[in-house]
Amino acid sequence: MIDSFKKLGELAQGRDLADVFLESDAREHGVPAEQIIEALTKRRQVMRDCIERGKGGGTSMGKLVGNEAKLLNEAFLAGKTFLDPLTVKAELYALSVMGENSRMGVIVAAPTAGAGGVVPGMLLALEEERNVDPAKTVRALVVAGGVGSIVALSAHISGAAGGCQNEVGVATAMGAAAVAYMMDGTPQQSISAAALALKNTLGLVCDPVGGLVEVPCVKRNALFAVHGLTAAQLALAGVESVIPMDEVVEAMVRIGRALPRGLKETAEGGLATTATGCAIGDRLKDEANQRRAQRAEERERLAHERKAGVAS
Amino acid sequence: MGPVMVGPSSSHTAGTARLGRVAREILDDDPVFVRFVLHPPLAATYRGHGSDFALVGGSIGLNVDDPRIPEAIRIAEQMGVEIEFAEEDMGEVHPNTVRVEIRSRSRSVQIAGSSIGGGVIDVFNINGFSAHFKGDSPTLLLFYRDRPGMISEITGIIADEGINIASLACSRKQRGKDAFMQIDVDSPMSKEALAHICATPDVAEAKYLDRIP
Repeated sequence: MIDSFKKLGELAQGRDLADVFLESDAREHGVPAEQIIEALTKRRQVMRDCIERGKGGGTSMGKLVGNEAKLLNEAFLAGKTFLDPLTVKAELYALSVMGENSRMGVIVAAPTAGAGGVVPGMLLALEEERNVDPAKTVRALVVAGGVGSIVALSAHISGAAGGCQNEVGVATAMGAAAVAYMMDGTPQQSISAAALALKNTLGLVCDPVGGLVEVPCVKRNALFAVHGLTAAQLALAGVESVIPMDEVVEAMVRIGRALPRGLKETAEGGLATTATGCAIGDRLKDEANQRRAQRAEERERLAHERKAGVAS
Repeated sequence: MGPVMVGPSSSHTAGTARLGRVAREILDDDPVFVRFVLHPPLAATYRGHGSDFALVGGSIGLNVDDPRIPEAIRIAEQMGVEIEFAEEDMGEVHPNTVRVEIRSRSRSVQIAGSSIGGGVIDVFNINGFSAHFKGDSPTLLLFYRDRPGMISEITGIIADEGINIASLACSRKQRGKDAFMQIDVDSPMSKEALAHICATPDVAEAKYLDRIP
């Protein structure tokens, strides 16, 4: 069992990182490599479709977000963006996925839904801009998933357990490792990319306004997709993390424990309790109460009709 | 990588939908009433994340990637399922923990479980018995009267099928009284074997659950 990044580094030396994970899954869980590749090929397509739908924008459930992807896409198509296309697309694709997510569209949890824009943003932008074979992107998803599963052995992957570092932080680390893989980096470079990415998300709190996966989650995914690309760039140039990845994960777990409850998804701190955050929270509560009242009325009406139906 | 799912939160939507689904699968009948009792941190956040739709969706048998999840409450009401939400502090459990009480006309089931991220679940209580159910492999849930030899009889039937047991756990309310066994297996079990297990003396009920999607 690959239960640490140290062990992964030893096992993977001079080998293809995706193969190492695939072989481990076949050995430990009896899942053949073809089956995993097939499942992830489907995941890549769901990501792709989701990005296409999401580019058009649309209002989220809580109506706090919606047009971010559309605005950036329009600026990009009009030649009005100043960053290079890879960076813009990474942001755009992450925004598109998160927009769909906020509308209860079908997405791929990577590793969670709230952090689900980071990995597809990075990987699918890179695939397009650097002409990577889609089959290699699928193998990069094996790497991303493998990295996430090692982290998950010692940390709960949720904002409720340890703040946003446990979600977007882990997603960024997974994506950075996968990007290094796609750019033909060594396994050690993938691990370094993950460590560099995760180190720089430590302490990130989960403070969603109104308790919704909208603010700051949607835009945060876009910004961290770019963050992950830069981590992979450093690693590919040979920069290593002084603190090994296993210890970065340990630090994340400790920080997560130390974070107060109000900054772990409860919407009782941080951005959620700013003046604007509170006002939005109050509005959402009012609307939810109205909806509940409407549903109760509807139920009563249905019951009444059923009774009338029985009587006649 | 996590599951393909309907947004917006893997803990709150995918995991909770799967918890609802577990209750529905164990009930194995058309539900008429479902009550969701939420641990306070989940109660504070569930509505914004669509957990209400997801829990209800799972409890009427929808998959986590079913686009009808956002409409689940309406669909359930049309099916004549009464739905209730409540809050209760369950002590030292994961923040996203829920108890699902589900009833059909003739049966009732109660489970408690946590949605621990990425759509992963941990059902730690089934009908009052302690459990360790994750829904990631085929599993046999057995309700029976505690007596010597039970485990060997049941595992014997499974062994005769050529099926490997991944893990087995028992718990009971009292010696010689109601007991529960959870057996995770590596490959699917046949209807014949299940019928054989059901016919074993002192077995009150056997439920075979495939992987929960």
